Amino acid sequence: MPRQVRRRSLALLSGAGLLLTIAGCGSAPAASGPHNVTIVFASQGLGTEAQATQAAVNSFEKLHPHIHVQIETLSASSNDAYQTLITDLTSGSGTPDVITADVIWPATFAAAKWILPLNQFHPDTSRFYQGMVKSGEYQGKLYAMPWFINVEGLYYRTDLVKTPPATFAQLTSDAKSAMKNNSKLTGLAFEGNKYEGAVTVFQDISGGFGGEFLNAQGKPVLNSPQNIKALTWLNNAIKTGISPAAVTGWEEGNVQQAFLSGDAVFATNWPYLYPLAEASGSAVKGKVAFVPTPVDGGQATASLGGDDLVINKNTKYPKQSWELVQYLTSAKTMTARALISGDPPARTDAYTPALLQKAPWFKQEEAVYADATPRPVTPLYPQISAQIQEALSATYSGQLTPTKALDQAQKAVEAIVSGHGS
Amino acid sequence: MRQRMGRTGFNALVAIIILYSLFPFYWVFKSSVESSIALNRQTSSLWPTNWTFVHYEAIFAVENFLRPLLNSMFVAGMATLISVVLGSMAAYGLSRMPIKGKVPILGFILLVSFFPQIAMVGPLFLVFRHLHWLNTYQSLIFPYLILSLPITTWILTAFFSQIPADIEEAAMMDGATITQTITRVFAPIAMPGIFTAAILGFLLSWNDFLFALSFIQTPNMDTVPLALVNFRNAYYVHYGQIYAGVVIASLPIALIVLFLQKRIESGLTAGSVKG
Amino acid sequence: MAAKPQIGPSLGTASPRPRRRRSYMASRSRVGYLLVLPAVAALAAIAIYPLIYNIVLSSRFDVLTEPGTGHFTGLANYRQMLTDPNFWGDLGRTGIFMVISVTLEFAAGLILALIVHREFKARGLVRASILIPWAIPTAVSALLWKMFFDIRSGFVDFALKALHLPGANLVWFNSPVLAWVPIILSDMWKNTPFIALLLLAGLQTIPQEIYESARIDGATGWQAFWSITLPLLRPAVMVALIFRTLSAMLVFDTIFVMTGGGPGQSTEVVAYYDWYKYMVSLNFGFGAAVAVAITVLALILATVYVRLLRQRGGFMT
Repeated sequence: MPRQVRRRSLALLSGAGLLLTIAGCGSAPAASGPHNVTIVFASQGLGTEAQATQAAVNSFEKLHPHIHVQIETLSASSNDAYQTLITDLTSGSGTPDVITADVIWPATFAAAKWILPLNQFHPDTSRFYQGMVKSGEYQGKLYAMPWFINVEGLYYRTDLVKTPPATFAQLTSDAKSAMKNNSKLTGLAFEGNKYEGAVTVFQDISGGFGGEFLNAQGKPVLNSPQNIKALTWLNNAIKTGISPAAVTGWEEGNVQQAFLSGDAVFATNWPYLYPLAEASGSAVKGKVAFVPTPVDGGQATASLGGDDLVINKNTKYPKQSWELVQYLTSAKTMTARALISGDPPARTDAYTPALLQKAPWFKQEEAVYADATPRPVTPLYPQISAQIQEALSATYSGQLTPTKALDQAQKAVEAIVSGHGS
Repeated sequence: MRQRMGRTGFNALVAIIILYSLFPFYWVFKSSVESSIALNRQTSSLWPTNWTFVHYEAIFAVENFLRPLLNSMFVAGMATLISVVLGSMAAYGLSRMPIKGKVPILGFILLVSFFPQIAMVGPLFLVFRHLHWLNTYQSLIFPYLILSLPITTWILTAFFSQIPADIEEAAMMDGATITQTITRVFAPIAMPGIFTAAILGFLLSWNDFLFALSFIQTPNMDTVPLALVNFRNAYYVHYGQIYAGVVIASLPIALIVLFLQKRIESGLTAGSVKG
Repeated sequence: MAAKPQIGPSLGTASPRPRRRRSYMASRSRVGYLLVLPAVAALAAIAIYPLIYNIVLSSRFDVLTEPGTGHFTGLANYRQMLTDPNFWGDLGRTGIFMVISVTLEFAAGLILALIVHREFKARGLVRASILIPWAIPTAVSALLWKMFFDIRSGFVDFALKALHLPGANLVWFNSPVLAWVPIILSDMWKNTPFIALLLLAGLQTIPQEIYESARIDGATGWQAFWSITLPLLRPAVMVALIFRTLSAMLVFDTIFVMTGGGPGQSTEVVAYYDWYKYMVSLNFGFGAAVAVAITVLALILATVYVRLLRQRGGFMT
């Protein structure tokens, strides 16, 4: 018995010793000359995306031989990745040093004072898509560098619809006439499940009608007449059969399936679908276009997704971390990433002729990026989104009229914003 | 005549029960060997239209489903081991030793098994975060004790109480020490009960979803139920892989049940109904 | 280690018997407590500690995304919970789910127990086939039934179409009422076997002679069922009911996997409400207040259960 106890405490001791060594390594004084540091880079992405990240990191290490970058892979599920980061950051840990953040996170992280304001490094954001830059700004400071952009736009079949619809009414009638010729067709495939993807679709439509979620002063304006019009339009699509009732359970994967199999005239989805549609063997190869959603009193809107890079406030190596961020967000690195993984660069000068030749669809996508609109930049976004999701789902399932549903959401979000709800 | 009708009705009822219990499994299996294209079309047949095992390949090659299987086995196995050891000790004390407060102690253990899991999630999350335990095996093994330890203790107490104390007393009279009595005389008789308790403890830990959902965020540490639910990620819903995963996840459970049916049944009822 | 024989009395010595006996009993009871201690301590650490932690947390404003702002707020979290219509809505839905699922599962479980209590050929098959669903993890069974009701690859839609019945092409999960059908079917599938087993164990304790003498007195099968079986089964019935009522009150996995509370809020339950406050809003103070409320409700039910067991003189006597 005693021996066992001793062995265990020995193990504990050596464990502690190991920790001390690691800590010792980490806090090696920056006294003199170049020294080796390790920065941890938390990044989402599997397959080719992971390959692209690794390739970029390798060439970065070649340029900076004293900085070692350790990649920590986050879950592919956005919620899980968010939880992991919340856990790391609230514990005050110095790692991960550099973090890939979904565009809806920097505001939360910045408000919680978990990430560094980047202004001290004098970043040049002039070449980036401005919607993307905005998603990284909080209370007048820049907290996140855009890495790659993602926007939800409208796909349509060029063989069934001659010109992209300019108004929502036209979209409806285009869908109807295509469906009249082929009764098997789905007019509009969209994401209607109770989840974040339904919010981005609604944001696209709402923007086209001139609606917003929060106004410029940060006040919720969910039940504006424009938003009611937008939700009514989406709901009518289901009611009139332009969209099958099944869309109320659909996510991107289902919409993709419907569109790629040639069953859908219109579909709301992200750029990732484009190369799949143009791949050899695709049923819709050469018959696809990607555009911003129509306009009806508002402006063309494409809900912004994509990833930013942020730096942990407690990092021991702010300078080295910034070096990495700067390298990863340079035009050259972004072009290389786009070639490997298809992730659209977040800056305009990364779309080189070589890239456009290899991936011609980027040209069409670029037009949509220009209309990229971030979701509300607020630390309360997760709760606000949950209320919108509920309003959409309650409408699609016929429990509430669009007006009633948005009135309820408005009330709930007002409470959340004023700090009386959660 | 009436009797025959009765028998037909009875047989029909039995058929319905078996169908309700087992047909969903058949459907999942059937769907797991359909191609993705067939799965996205309207189903047209009770049988697989064209057999394929791509989904099974994919869940192991692409999704690395082996990892969650091993994770679940390890986590549930460790929780079971600890439960059986602690449960046996407690049950021996409760059934053999002259201690006061047996009823309150057993009452407490019973009561604890009714503690709402959801109410433990928040505090445990904060504690584990503080200990840097999130995303580790121990963040599941310890909470799983709440699922497996109470039932293990019940079953074993009920079981040990049925083993006559004379056997041990006789051994002690022959000069055996307590330890010798337990290891040489008592343990062999108690083994079947311990085994029963272990199976149930294991199944109850294997069943967990809520703790894993709350304390595990990296795919490497997913348990089986969590991995299956996470097969849908940002852009894809892999129906075929979900079906294949459900089949793989159910198969070992079905085998355990078929081989150990009697024990599971007796264990399930031992704690709550004397019998 | 050579000192070991000196600890406690050795059985072979010839010390005066009564004294030896007493100290032997005392040492045995000490060993007994030591044996029980680890299990009780482990359970207390995992269950009681969080309970106390919850009570403390519930009086505080503690939101993970607003670090450094934590402070004491008294009963504010409880006030907010009790004035939140969503809390009451979720509690009401939980109640309705409890009543419906427990009633159906109890009725089905009783029938199942009566069937399996009989001797017939396929008895072993029935017993095995109902036990497999019980052993499948709840989240997996929810996934399985969700797919079963899928509009394309699911069986339900296929069967309704093939039989030309109404309800084909129905999106079950988009209806505030019909979304409950797969939820309850999945819950029944998983939990009815458990009730059946408890009731079966109860049935097996009823001596056959009682039925025989009743038959001699001219009682029909139904009469015997109402006047003998049910009353004698009462304890097992109570145990099964309270067991199931409690786990139905805490239903989470099935809802999370199948509907996420949707469509709208129509399948949201109180455990989901609490999970959301904790893990999505990261509002741990508020989540703790809800957790305390849930714990109180659960403990009331559990106390009743323990009382019943004790009255009946189960293994605890």
